[in-house]
Amino acid sequence: MSNLMQRTTAPWRIGVLFSRTGFMSVIEETQYQGTLLAIEEINAAGGVCGRELVPVSYDPGSDSAAYGHYAKRLMIEDEVNTIFGCYTSSSRKAVLPVVERLNGLLWYPTLYEGFETSPNVIYTGASPNQNSLALCRYLMDTYGSRFYFVGSDYIYPRESNRVMREVLKANGGSVVGERYVNVHARWQDFLPIVQDIGRLRPDVIFSTVVGEATVFLYRAYANVGLDPRKMPIASLTTTEAEIAAMGFDVGEGHITAASYFQGIAGETNNCFVNRFKKRFGGDVSTNMCVEASYFQLHLFAKALEQANTLDTEVLRAMVLGTTFDAPQGAVTVNPMTGHADLWTRIGRANRSGQFDVIHQSREAVHADPFLIGYGRATAQAGNAL
Amino acid sequence: MNDVMRKPASSRETSGRKTMVQEFADLTAVILAPLDDQASLLLRELQRYRMRARQVWPMPTTVPGDADVVYCEYCPDLARRLPWIPGDARSALVVIVPATEPIQADALSHATPNAVLSRPFTPNAVLSSLVLARSQFGYERRLRSKIERLDENLRSMRTVERAKAILMATRQMPETEAYGFIRRQAMDRRVSASAVAAAIVDSFELLGYDPQH
Repeated sequence: MSNLMQRTTAPWRIGVLFSRTGFMSVIEETQYQGTLLAIEEINAAGGVCGRELVPVSYDPGSDSAAYGHYAKRLMIEDEVNTIFGCYTSSSRKAVLPVVERLNGLLWYPTLYEGFETSPNVIYTGASPNQNSLALCRYLMDTYGSRFYFVGSDYIYPRESNRVMREVLKANGGSVVGERYVNVHARWQDFLPIVQDIGRLRPDVIFSTVVGEATVFLYRAYANVGLDPRKMPIASLTTTEAEIAAMGFDVGEGHITAASYFQGIAGETNNCFVNRFKKRFGGDVSTNMCVEASYFQLHLFAKALEQANTLDTEVLRAMVLGTTFDAPQGAVTVNPMTGHADLWTRIGRANRSGQFDVIHQSREAVHADPFLIGYGRATAQAGNAL
Repeated sequence: MNDVMRKPASSRETSGRKTMVQEFADLTAVILAPLDDQASLLLRELQRYRMRARQVWPMPTTVPGDADVVYCEYCPDLARRLPWIPGDARSALVVIVPATEPIQADALSHATPNAVLSRPFTPNAVLSSLVLARSQFGYERRLRSKIERLDENLRSMRTVERAKAILMATRQMPETEAYGFIRRQAMDRRVSASAVAAAIVDSFELLGYDPQH
């Protein structure tokens, strides 16, 4: 470790932790691909300071505790200081004590519930002020104010719903039902829920169901003949990957808020989508998690180029304030919070499994994980749509 | 209030708390080292403080995770043998380091010990390592639980704010009175202010109350 400075052609070793098996693989596999694509691009362009990036990757198999054990192995046995990974909040919280105690750096490319700011994490997915607030306003204006919450039973959905409930109530809306299903839920588990929805007739179904179960929720909804034009499922987590898994016809008409959709306009995104399809096949889509996994590697490389060390203190100082022209638009790591300033968008799934962007922020929205600068009124959401 | 508390509760117990050495009594300890003169001295010293100590050797693949204090011989792969992940230790850890053979700084750091005990041992060195390990381990644990509570408080403050707004609107209470109401209810019911606030918010939600209209 100490002679890194002299061996200037030695590769930079970085950790990668995404579940490529198990119930979370439907989305984490795409995050793995986004990470890989960026690493290959960076290496093809000559690496960082003339040195290649070499990923050391493990598959935690969708088991949260395994993330902690692999993080330990990465940092202690593989002598890796920087780790890219995690989708669920449970897996992030499993890695957190390890990177905090051993002073590593975790790059977390997933939207989450906010209310955290670790000096050992760079957060590149959306915080609630970058998606929930704008989504709530749009849904209330377009469909009505009676919401039904359905989520997977773990930290993120419960915390995210706490924020959503608060925003909704502050604007005169109400929660008419709230259900949580096991992360391993099968399609049968959603039958009583869609029946309950059919009976209560909410204006909107707000879903924080993640992973494979997403497919079962949307299919159960379609099976009982509910109409997305009148009562859509709105989500922060259903991306192009989940829509492809459930079938384009099943997903059509439902709403998602995200910083990125494959369908957004712009040359940077076109190039990104083309390179992704060339590498992983023409029938796969990019999505918000691919994009975050991809741009965070480039942000990292940009900071590493200046720091020329993987030492967490030096590298993090370089990362803060760094801007990168990402497929979603220019993004910056906010020096106050270590969270990326991201774009807010709302999309509606179309017949070809892509999202038509129906609203978008004028510029990147400052990350505010503790919702300090926001009242609870959606009128203050983001920088206006 | 503070003055009263600082005064001794009774003449029988002047300090009102256990001394450090009294706190050692009945703690469990595991010593992972060959049973030579040195380890015997360590075992005797711990027993002298009325700790329940046992010695284990050869070094197991996984260090036992059920003791209050673990004394463990240094080895380069010590971190891997620990049953917990770094940052989530369940026992205070003292690493025993050899007198002359070189050790690796990274390996020692990865094991995140709370204290070290260098060979050859002396009674003073044993006591020092024990004091340091217990107090550092306890302090780290208290800081972690403090952070957990702060996180929780941060979230519950938002609930209290909403309950306050509901009370101000429905009961025409001024702000300070609304806070006072929540606090009194919490004390009467022996629950937290945030639990009372959550109950207020939930019940108004059930009744379809809308604070804006």
